[in-house]
Amino acid sequence: MNYLKPSTVEEATELLGSSQGMILAGGTDACVYMAEGFCDPETLIDIGAIDALRGIEARQDEGGDILWIGACTTISEISDSDILPQGLRQGAHAIGSPQIRNLGTIGGNICNASPCGDTLAPLLSLEALFVLRSASGARTVESADFFTGPKQTVLQEGELLECIHLSTAACAWTSAFRMIGNRNGQAISQVNAAVNLKLEDGVIQAMRSAVGSVAPIPLRLPQLEEALVGKTLQSIQLSDLRAPIMAEIRPIDDVRSTATYRQELAVTLIFDALMDCAQQDATAREGAAE
Amino acid sequence: MNLQFVCNGEAVRIDVEPSARVLDVLRDVLGLTGTKEGCGRGECGACTILLDGKPVNSCMLLAGKLDGRNVLTIEGVAEADGSLHPIQEAFLDKGAVQCGFCTPGMVLSTKALLDENATPNVDEIEEALSGNLCRCTGYGKIVDGVLEASERLAQGSKDHGA
Repeated sequence: MNYLKPSTVEEATELLGSSQGMILAGGTDACVYMAEGFCDPETLIDIGAIDALRGIEARQDEGGDILWIGACTTISEISDSDILPQGLRQGAHAIGSPQIRNLGTIGGNICNASPCGDTLAPLLSLEALFVLRSASGARTVESADFFTGPKQTVLQEGELLECIHLSTAACAWTSAFRMIGNRNGQAISQVNAAVNLKLEDGVIQAMRSAVGSVAPIPLRLPQLEEALVGKTLQSIQLSDLRAPIMAEIRPIDDVRSTATYRQELAVTLIFDALMDCAQQDATAREGAAE
Repeated sequence: MNLQFVCNGEAVRIDVEPSARVLDVLRDVLGLTGTKEGCGRGECGACTILLDGKPVNSCMLLAGKLDGRNVLTIEGVAEADGSLHPIQEAFLDKGAVQCGFCTPGMVLSTKALLDENATPNVDEIEEALSGNLCRCTGYGKIVDGVLEASERLAQGSKDHGA
């Protein structure tokens, strides 16, 4: 196996264009795939040592103020960041174990494109933008348009994920994430859910929500958002959520769960995430009153 | 690929396949067999090492990533004269070791925790050890061992300061 270790993004995209190699970031998914014989790449391009692909920074973009996240930023760094929104941090923290979070990267979680990836629903609920780069240039894709199926994305041959852009405005809303797995540590989500709310005096002014593992790709829930905007967060009942969520999701039976259980989980986890936001909002307002 | 890194405080220079697992390089090239292979897919933590002070699974780390890094394995935890680290002593005294296969990983995850947080509570200990499976102890005695190690280290640094 050829193992290439570029030190710049330009070098990486050139190598990717010429070698058709497989990108290696943290390696926590790739090593398992290789060990189990799911893939046997002729060439690995290890982008983990490229400094320009790491970090979390406030930056200015043509579109306004953003938080920039390099694709090779580790899941631990996302989880521990004090400038990223709560929902994304909670999603990162739900992944694997400390050992896996110290190696795995957010770019890897995105490009692996598993329907149950725990950063994906939070990223959709933040309307994250993904910057894809090849030797011939860069393009920006909305997170909700990036995934095309289980393990499938819009990434073309020769393209890699360079960074994630979050609008600073969307990051200032109140967000939360919930997942259920078989146990707390190391569990893969049976369903995960994320909400991001613009609140004013406890009333939902705007909402973005997403769920994972209930369709071939992580899904936004526009019907739910439409149903809840204008409502007081504290007044929302579990029963308000069922119809608009059921209208959007299409879960299946598989090794980790059943379709019926996943339907129940999607409703309950969205509710729990909303109640987490209610708690955060109450705490913030108490703090502001003091 | 020629790799240069620090392993257990010593500079190492080796020529290995960069796509080899660090677990295999440690055991088969460097003869450091304290690092164990359990599941080989990142679920059990028996192969845990510290990379630049942070716990990682050496079964999911490729050798090509080691260049310029700092590795600590269980062999580097005890003193050079062979006397055990306070974490190892506390594990023995509290019965946190039964078959011992998970112990190197448990000790290293504990070391990473206590280096960051000298006085963890039980929740923090369980969180820090959530990537290390033990089939013998039921974990209770391991948590006791970590609490004991935390106290001994605090006592040691107090004695040292006095």
